[in-house]
Amino acid sequence: MTLSLSDPAWYPIASSDDLPFRHVYQGQLLGRELAVWRADDGNVNVWENRCLHRGVRLSIGINEGAELKCQYHGWRYANRSAGCTYIPAHPADAPARRIQNKIYPVAEAFGLVWSAAQDSDNIERPFAPFPGAESGQWFPLRPMPVNAAPEDVLAGLATLAPDDRPADSLPGLALRLGDVVYFVQPVDAGRAVIRGLLPSTPADATQALRHYNEMLSKLRDRLERAAAKKPAPEPLAPAFDKVSADLATMPDIAIPRGNTIPVVVKRKWTSADGVIGFELAAREGHLPTFQPGAHIDVHLPNGLIRQYSITNGPGELMSYIIGVKQESASKGGSKVLVETVRQGDMLAISEPRNNFPLRRDATRTVLIAGGIGITPLLSMARFLDKSSLPYELHYFTRACEQVAFRGDLEALHGTVLIHTGLPRAEIGTTISTALGAWSQAQHVYVCGPSAMLESVRTTAAAQGWPDEAIHFEYFKNDKPIDDSSAFDVELARSAMTLHVPAGKTILEVMRDAGLTVPSSCEQGACGTCLTTVIEGEVDHQDVYLNDSEKAANTCMMTCVSRAKSARLVLDI
Amino acid sequence: MTITLHDFELSGNCYKLRLLMSILQLRYDIVPVDFFPGREHKSDAFLRLNPFGQLPVLQDGDLTLSDSGAILAYLARRYDASGQWFPDDPAVTAEVLRWHAVADDITATASAARLALGFDYPFDLEKTQAGAHRIFRIIDEHLWFGEKSGRDWLASPAHPTTADIACFPYVMLSEEGGISRQDYPALRRWTDRVRRIPGFIVMSGIFPAGPALPAA
Repeated sequence: MTLSLSDPAWYPIASSDDLPFRHVYQGQLLGRELAVWRADDGNVNVWENRCLHRGVRLSIGINEGAELKCQYHGWRYANRSAGCTYIPAHPADAPARRIQNKIYPVAEAFGLVWSAAQDSDNIERPFAPFPGAESGQWFPLRPMPVNAAPEDVLAGLATLAPDDRPADSLPGLALRLGDVVYFVQPVDAGRAVIRGLLPSTPADATQALRHYNEMLSKLRDRLERAAAKKPAPEPLAPAFDKVSADLATMPDIAIPRGNTIPVVVKRKWTSADGVIGFELAAREGHLPTFQPGAHIDVHLPNGLIRQYSITNGPGELMSYIIGVKQESASKGGSKVLVETVRQGDMLAISEPRNNFPLRRDATRTVLIAGGIGITPLLSMARFLDKSSLPYELHYFTRACEQVAFRGDLEALHGTVLIHTGLPRAEIGTTISTALGAWSQAQHVYVCGPSAMLESVRTTAAAQGWPDEAIHFEYFKNDKPIDDSSAFDVELARSAMTLHVPAGKTILEVMRDAGLTVPSSCEQGACGTCLTTVIEGEVDHQDVYLNDSEKAANTCMMTCVSRAKSARLVLDI
Repeated sequence: MTITLHDFELSGNCYKLRLLMSILQLRYDIVPVDFFPGREHKSDAFLRLNPFGQLPVLQDGDLTLSDSGAILAYLARRYDASGQWFPDDPAVTAEVLRWHAVADDITATASAARLALGFDYPFDLEKTQAGAHRIFRIIDEHLWFGEKSGRDWLASPAHPTTADIACFPYVMLSEEGGISRQDYPALRRWTDRVRRIPGFIVMSGIFPAGPALPAA
């Protein structure tokens, strides 16, 4: 039997005990090096052992519990998806969601961790227990690495059988000697690991482990002496995939409404007075990577699309948890979710988008939430918490009963201050005290009702906080939109000029002309339709850009903003 | 009294002393010695300090000491009030000294391979690498059975000793000598534990481990 790089069979690659929490195990299967780590939720990750950035081995990286951090430039990759969640060299930006490391399928069974050289998105041969597996309470032996060809190691194991009771062959590189099962992990053409399983925990475990260890050590020495006399086999040469084209080149403009993901409402509950929690789970496997501050579009049964922030902590990809405000005056968005969507229902959501990215290089991070605005800030607090970074979370609600996600907040280790029922004036002074004076590398993140955002933004500015240190996310744009102007837009890349009449938006005019342009909230709050302005003076009407960004006149939101000049030139 | 370390930044044997002194929170001065490429450790001035012409040398007041293992023992006995780093117990002392000798074997193999690959030393690379693998195999087995019986460190006490400090640097730097630690998972886990000792410091080629899982 010769080893094949494309052998899709499952092989053990580690013992379960090899993967304590906060450790990264270095493994190898069929010539491919693996970084293997257990997240704090118990999930085992088997990834290609190289960082997408500079190719450094991830096995020397840091297992932070929910993210793996590369030792070289600190790129973080999420538990389960291996999607990149943070790039320290670009602390203010959300990494592109296509940055995702190569992952291998994984199964944990019989005290061993198994993997296979298969595409983890498209597993052609799912993990199946070895014949007779169900009859034992398996107890793994100390693994025995051997510098010899895997097939020779298997043959060597067979020679351990007494003459009157030969070894039973098992599928793949495995055999049974009496009631002990041995697997040979094909590390490379000339390297293998013997992984044995006893059918039950022996009475004197240490003595038994010593006994088998001694026996296998002798076999190893014999096999290695024999291997040394033969020419060393050529190591397997796995082809390392080039970084995918959509990562290495400028991607096309993403169409956020194009790709939707079906999810199941796994749980729906009243998180607080007026706040309904929804747990949205993938139908199979895990959901895409998200970063703190990210939101998803939820496609509602009545055709409306609404944005909700993800509250999850790092690496929690089995389901997204969102909080929905029960609004009496709602025009049918949240109302439909709250009133008609039930546990077990299917919904479509978008991939997560992040217009509210969290820096992880601040010396002080202040998180300020008002009402349902707690949702993105809860996620941020959880990320900071996991990395033991300092933060202060201020959460304002009108009444005690309106404090959502209380249990989750209590589980945090940072400074969490809940302010309930403060009169308006006192809210102002509390915000002012919470902010304090600004100094280098301090950042504030705020989400909540418009009045509160305005208050935080003006207070912070008055106390010396620069625009780039004030991060905010509006739920909606409350400002009245003045669409009375009429002007021309010249689309530089598309080489066309369109007339925008009063009463129509730039976005609508572009769509009418057959262009596909991304958008989401269409009220100037979410930032999806952000467009570069080449020439002309913009009449900003959104709440997404801050004042300095607006004054710079280099970009605009085409869903609500218009032109003060007769002509605008856009980079579309 | 002032402690002075005659030090080469890239030397694992010098780093052993910096590491223990950091853990013991000792203040010391450094005199850099141009080991490579200057070969200053063979200069007359240095040979007067240590006729064997080897780093590190440590001076404490009037005392001049050489050999990293001996100096580890000295620093622990002299400055470690807790007595944990070089315990008094005769059996444990023997155990720790046994590992100091292993550390010297690691220097003769793993460190020699690193000098051959990175510092142009005319050592037999294949032989030194094979020697390092032979030692790592034994340590991995020792640590693996240690984990099964609740022993986290090289010597038997329930806390680290200079045995761990002495063996750690050239294990961690082995890849610079072309010696992979992939086949030694228990050895790799032990390096996590050493890197989590309060007061741990790094050197070039030795990276920090993240914090352990907080106790629930």
